[in-house]
Amino acid sequence: MSFVKCCFESTEGHDFLDSLVQKCTDPGCCCGCCSALRPRYKRLVDNIFPASPQDGLVKSNMEKLTFYSLSSPEKLDRIGEYLFQKASRDIYRRRHGFVIIAMEAMDQLLVACHSQTLNLFVESFLKMVQKLLESTDPQLQILATQSFVRFANIEEDTPSYHRRYDFFVSKFSAMCHSNHNDKPTRENIRLAGIQGLQGVIRKTVSDDLVENIWEAQHMDKIVPSLLYNMQTAEKYETVSCMETDTRDGLDDDPPRLAEACLRELVGRASFGHIRSVLRPVLTHFDRHELWVPTEFAVHTFKIIMFSIQAQYSYSVVEALLQHLDAGVGTRVRAARAAVLSSIVAFAAGDSVGPSVLEIINNLLTNLRASVARDSEKESDEKLYQEALINALGEFADHLPDFQKIDIMMFIVSKIPNQRGKGTKADSMLQSILLKSLLKVGSTYRTTELSKAFPAAFLDALLRLSGAGEAATRALLQRILHTLLDRRGNAAALAAPTVDYAKLGLIVEKCSRPDLIFISKHGYAIFSSLYDGLQLESNTAENVCAIYTTLALLCVELASEETVCDMLQLILSMQQSALSNPVLSTAQACRVHGAALALLALVPHVLLLPALQEYVAQIIEARREEAPHLLPPLLEDYDLSPSKMPNKLPYLMIDQMALAECLKACGVEARLQPAAPYAGAALAQRHSWVEAGAAQGRDSLADISAGPNAELDSANSSPGVQRHCGGGESVSLEALRRAASGPSEAERREAERRRATLNDTFRTAPFDHLLLITQPKYEIKEKLEEIFNSLSEEPLLGVGVGGSPAGKPTPCTKYFPELFLY
Amino acid sequence: MEDYKFLFKVVLVGNAGVGKTCLVRRFTQGLFPPGQGATIGVDFMIKTVEVDGEKVKLQIWDTAGQERFRSITQSYYRSAHALILVYDISCQPTFDCLPDWLREIEEYASHKVLRILVGNKTDREDREIPRHIGEDFAQRHGMYFLETSAKEAENVERLFMEIAVELMEQAKCKELPKYDGSLGPINGKTTSVGDGSCCLRS
Repeated sequence: MSFVKCCFESTEGHDFLDSLVQKCTDPGCCCGCCSALRPRYKRLVDNIFPASPQDGLVKSNMEKLTFYSLSSPEKLDRIGEYLFQKASRDIYRRRHGFVIIAMEAMDQLLVACHSQTLNLFVESFLKMVQKLLESTDPQLQILATQSFVRFANIEEDTPSYHRRYDFFVSKFSAMCHSNHNDKPTRENIRLAGIQGLQGVIRKTVSDDLVENIWEAQHMDKIVPSLLYNMQTAEKYETVSCMETDTRDGLDDDPPRLAEACLRELVGRASFGHIRSVLRPVLTHFDRHELWVPTEFAVHTFKIIMFSIQAQYSYSVVEALLQHLDAGVGTRVRAARAAVLSSIVAFAAGDSVGPSVLEIINNLLTNLRASVARDSEKESDEKLYQEALINALGEFADHLPDFQKIDIMMFIVSKIPNQRGKGTKADSMLQSILLKSLLKVGSTYRTTELSKAFPAAFLDALLRLSGAGEAATRALLQRILHTLLDRRGNAAALAAPTVDYAKLGLIVEKCSRPDLIFISKHGYAIFSSLYDGLQLESNTAENVCAIYTTLALLCVELASEETVCDMLQLILSMQQSALSNPVLSTAQACRVHGAALALLALVPHVLLLPALQEYVAQIIEARREEAPHLLPPLLEDYDLSPSKMPNKLPYLMIDQMALAECLKACGVEARLQPAAPYAGAALAQRHSWVEAGAAQGRDSLADISAGPNAELDSANSSPGVQRHCGGGESVSLEALRRAASGPSEAERREAERRRATLNDTFRTAPFDHLLLITQPKYEIKEKLEEIFNSLSEEPLLGVGVGGSPAGKPTPCTKYFPELFLY
Repeated sequence: MEDYKFLFKVVLVGNAGVGKTCLVRRFTQGLFPPGQGATIGVDFMIKTVEVDGEKVKLQIWDTAGQERFRSITQSYYRSAHALILVYDISCQPTFDCLPDWLREIEEYASHKVLRILVGNKTDREDREIPRHIGEDFAQRHGMYFLETSAKEAENVERLFMEIAVELMEQAKCKELPKYDGSLGPINGKTTSVGDGSCCLRS
């Protein structure tokens, strides 16, 4: 035998011999002499097969084969091919035992041989795997997958460019959907399918030169297959990325393995490929209606967020945002938004610059679309909006503070201006945007007021505070509360009270920058709040809200310098409650109550014993005679005429007495002799400045604004011109009258005049406008006169002392611009 | 053993319950599974047939008809050489859906794909779609037409054989052996039909 073997060893390459023995390669039918005629590698291969498949691989012969292939690697490809042929035949004849042995041998060779020639061997190896996968026997399929996975874990040094994994992706995906009748078998096939996909991913993802696994045709198979297996899990527990690696290999149920595989896939995706993963995910959720309930969707998207490379995480948010509106069903939309809100936080940390605003803008656009949509199911739409607002809040929560302010300004800029004809949708959008603003604002931690309220932002907020519906205004006040409240007093100050001792307010000394801030913007804030109190549509909630804002201001800015402003404002509030004819009795009572509550707060935050005594007196007196002038504020007041506030002058806060109190406490009191501090004079002055400042932006809009602007807000230029241009003698008296509100007849007259004025401005040609506005130059002079006289008078407290001196300058500066029309 | 000359991919599509899986199993395994459950995702079978003395390997991808698996099944159209569109002759709705299926095929499959319309379940007594209606439809849309019964094994063999013959003819016409499939030709002996438009698209 050995002699014959020697003789034929050299001839193994000859074709004629090859073809001769090919006829008879089956060891079963082969006689001894025939085997002697075969080439050596074939004999070696034949020898590894035992007589009976039960005996398993012949180990010693396998070692010989391995040694041979290591020593002459150029034979490896032939060995592979020969093994493959043998195995195919065995599959065909259903001798699975031999097939398994052949596969085992191939595995061992694959692991043993790390050489250049492995590449050719791999061809046969993969053909073998494919052959096994093509069989219907689950056992062989699983075996093939295991071999494939082993192969996938080998690092090849030379990539194979022509190798295709098309079939493997298709087949493994099909296996992931196995519907085998036997449950354990089904699980195993699915498991194998997932492992196979994992192998394909590992094999292809790292090398750009081999097949592009990220192409849609592959991703459309891989991703749904993984998701399909994940969704069958009984419960979804999301863990962060780190823990999964340790579990690797231990995964024995399809959902968990599929999850690990998805993590790997997402983790390896580069920016350009994220989309190709996400698209099938979204489609799968749509098709399988997995959005509602949201557990699985949240689970999946969290996994994606955990495993995705951090710098790309916002693109997931973006993709989801773009998908929000796709398809039908508000419930689905709401679910998507809920998912969004649960993942958006992940993205926030890594988003920078434009992408942040882009996401916010996108959210707002969706909100607007939602408002515009006439949904048949209001409640669902509301749910959707809530979810979006939540998402917005979540997102903002994870941004640094300076970006929050940017975002708030951005949102404010999107709020529709209500001075125009407000449609229902507009006002709804307004309130929704304010809600979003509130959500963002509540995540912001104010340190310095000047940082929390950049001038433009404050401006916009205050402008809004006088407009819109009562509920909207209350919402706006709540935004102010969250931004003002640094020490957590807002809850305690939610409703007016006179008994502050119990509340446990936290009061600290007001810092220098804050003082500067309030001296700069105090006018604007106070007068806007004052105006807010003068509106006819105010409910108890509005008054409450404004009270809270003022109380917070008082607490936050507790200082002797601001106390005069505060007292002045309180006096004005009282005055307006007495004399503003717009306010109903109930409204007046509420304002009285709020004013007194504020007054009681002042000595609480500052050490002013005399004032405290005085307040206590008033409270006592009111409690006896007019409890309706005390907090709490009621929805309805049932009063006899004799109890009307203006019939009880002795129960009012007296300005002289206040001045006395302050003096007694050593505070330099310079309360204005005439009560309306923040009234007309301030409001008008403020509005001049504001109008001037707003000149470039929207004074045109102001002029064209419809007649629904509030009578006393005096915020728009035409409104002011009415007061002055109406031919009344311009004096302090007139101004006071303007503050306390004109009589009914005057009002109607004014209304008409303003309407015509508006009309003129809207319709008349520019020249004409110029002509008719010309004469107003003399008014300008008159006004200047007034302002000069005003600034000479000590009408303002010390805290704002800097301002009167400063004010006339901007006034005159802005006049030319103002009167350009 | 790996001596087939052509490898063709055949994909079956059609509404749920029209008998796609039964057709495939009748052809590949020669049996009619009575209580066949709904396919989920995609199933895969293989069968080698002989045409003119040459071996042709048919990779048959049997897709789920259910709506929810539509996205994954669509991804299998692309590489198909032949698409078998199946309806149930005793169920009008399955016929009414055909235009939708065609639209999907237009969108996802190669333009040169061989399309065959199959009316299954001819063994049923309660026929709702007369034969000529199906024929008309097939003709209008440039498809081959056949009525089969997986239960009675009627026309099943013929269906797949004709596909094999047709595809082989197409392949021979092109006379352009191309790499396709996952592994490529073996010893230069095996050729599979590469679809030009398919390659261009990817």
